[in-house]
Amino acid sequence: MNVIILSAIWGVLMMYVGFITKNKNVPTYVAIAGIILLLVVNWMEYLGMFFFNVDTKGMLEYDSFSLIFNQVILFSTLVYFLLSGSQVSSFKNNVSDLYALIFFIITGISVVAGFKSLLMLFIGIEIISIPLYVLAGSEKSNLKSNEAALKYFLMGAFSTGLMLMGIAFLYGNAGTFMLEGIQIGATEITPMLSIGLILLLCSMSFKVSAAPFHFWTPDVYDGSPTVFTSFMATIVKSAAFFAFFKLFQNAFGNIREEWGILVAIIAVFTLLIGNITAVFQQSFKRMLSYSSIAQAGFMLLGVFAMNSFAKQGLILYFAAYSLATIGIFAVLAKFKDHSIEAFNGFAKQYPLVALGMLICILSLAGIPLTAGFFAKYYMLLGVIEHGNMIWLAIFAVICAAVSVYYYFRVVQAIYFKETTIQADVTFSKPFAYIMLANAGLIIVLGIHPDWLLSYLNI
Amino acid sequence: MPVAELLFWFLTGLSLFGALMVVFSKNPVHSVLWLIVVFFAISGHYILMNAQFLAIVNLIVYAGAIMVLFLFVIMLMNMNTESEPQKNRWLRLAAIVSGGSLLLILVAALKDNKGSISGVSDLEGGIGLIQNLGKVLFTDYVIPFEISSVLFLSAMVGAVILGRKESANLKS
Repeated sequence: MNVIILSAIWGVLMMYVGFITKNKNVPTYVAIAGIILLLVVNWMEYLGMFFFNVDTKGMLEYDSFSLIFNQVILFSTLVYFLLSGSQVSSFKNNVSDLYALIFFIITGISVVAGFKSLLMLFIGIEIISIPLYVLAGSEKSNLKSNEAALKYFLMGAFSTGLMLMGIAFLYGNAGTFMLEGIQIGATEITPMLSIGLILLLCSMSFKVSAAPFHFWTPDVYDGSPTVFTSFMATIVKSAAFFAFFKLFQNAFGNIREEWGILVAIIAVFTLLIGNITAVFQQSFKRMLSYSSIAQAGFMLLGVFAMNSFAKQGLILYFAAYSLATIGIFAVLAKFKDHSIEAFNGFAKQYPLVALGMLICILSLAGIPLTAGFFAKYYMLLGVIEHGNMIWLAIFAVICAAVSVYYYFRVVQAIYFKETTIQADVTFSKPFAYIMLANAGLIIVLGIHPDWLLSYLNI
Repeated sequence: MPVAELLFWFLTGLSLFGALMVVFSKNPVHSVLWLIVVFFAISGHYILMNAQFLAIVNLIVYAGAIMVLFLFVIMLMNMNTESEPQKNRWLRLAAIVSGGSLLLILVAALKDNKGSISGVSDLEGGIGLIQNLGKVLFTDYVIPFEISSVLFLSAMVGAVILGRKESANLKS
């Protein structure tokens, strides 16, 4: 609750900042200050200190799972601001308004983190989506950005319609929006319940870009300005996954056997399509968007398994995936040319940045000693503990092996190819250090994941 | 047959027919006009459930404001049958298959429904009256109500960002 209110207020404050000063760096500093404030406030809520005592009638409830998730999201946003803030402020105007939209999205994410009622889920998802459509189209003179925004908006609105229809059926079945009420009624499958479940499954799969609902992802991620692709591929996707997990755990947990196979099939398709298509991409940005589909397939394993391993794994996965992808996108955003060849000999020019990027890529590929390894490990552990579908775990491992191929194409370009001089790309010293700190954090999480997971009381 | 039931079936038929006409009309302006018919029929349903406030709001917001917007957009885009782009045959086939599957699932699941939907009673119960609605909105549902203000604020900010001229340096 602390985060919801303060983040909304800070969003309004951001708009005033643009009103007061014309200096473009000031909004970035104010945004960083705001995120640090939110981090502190969220941590205080974890420790049991509340600033606002609001009676939510049971519609919002925060347990340690939600709060740690919030903390991961806020921290990723902090890293995002630190690394990509200069890119946001390079927009011609509206810089502070763009930051305001990001803060509103964070409000939506913390609504999603604690929802206990389908109504809150809907409002949270909408608060996340609508500013994102704007962010996707914020580069107004770029046709691809316009296309991305329109595509995202139409597809997103359609999937929201599906979600609303599903919610309506569930309400008709149970007579309540509360997840507990739906859970109690969900001991046997009634027609209305099954339709509601399927519609919600489809719309949530759309939001997390799982196959076969992934068709919007490459175009939208590719067309949007790279800074905002970074935001929507990491932080927003994590939030959508959290909503997915929480909804299916708290509303449909009793009838897991009925929908487990559906989620398993979606996960298989997502892993297969994401990984295989990523192999053939020439553009780095497009490859990353397919790789984000592939990573979504892995996270779906957590939704499928739905035990304590899955919970821990998801939190770790959000952290590992967000930090690594934000790092890579921050570097990529400085390039005009988004092909993999543009990175040829990058390590000779900027050894420190290249090292940070290398560790991010290794983490995405799931190499041991990086956070990505343990994230994937927990997911597989969850599936094995679930017990029914070991083949799913085997399939996921094979797909992870495929993913190494396309991630290492970038590593090869960075370290082993002849240099092509990128005159327009410059990295400041602080940027390199933050990249390295980010990479260090990824390694720490990869050596000792309990450092994060011990805060979860599961 | 009591009047309420008769009205119910009439409105149901009207809304279904209107919805079908929205889809089948060749002329987009006719589609929009049929959509207005659908909204009126649905408002009639609300009144049957004694939800007067919802009925009026549905008329004002949807049939009034949003439909006018639709009409304006369609007129500005100057859409007519000649300028309609040729649709890909495979796309059409895919649309039929996917839409048909959804219909199949909906029918297959709902045919077993016993029709035991409780909580809705015709012409009685004051739950839809504006007084009760207001009370519920500002007591039980005040949190979603307040939080949705963030949604509208962000939508407004977004509209301003997208609508503002790119190069203008705010001199004027």
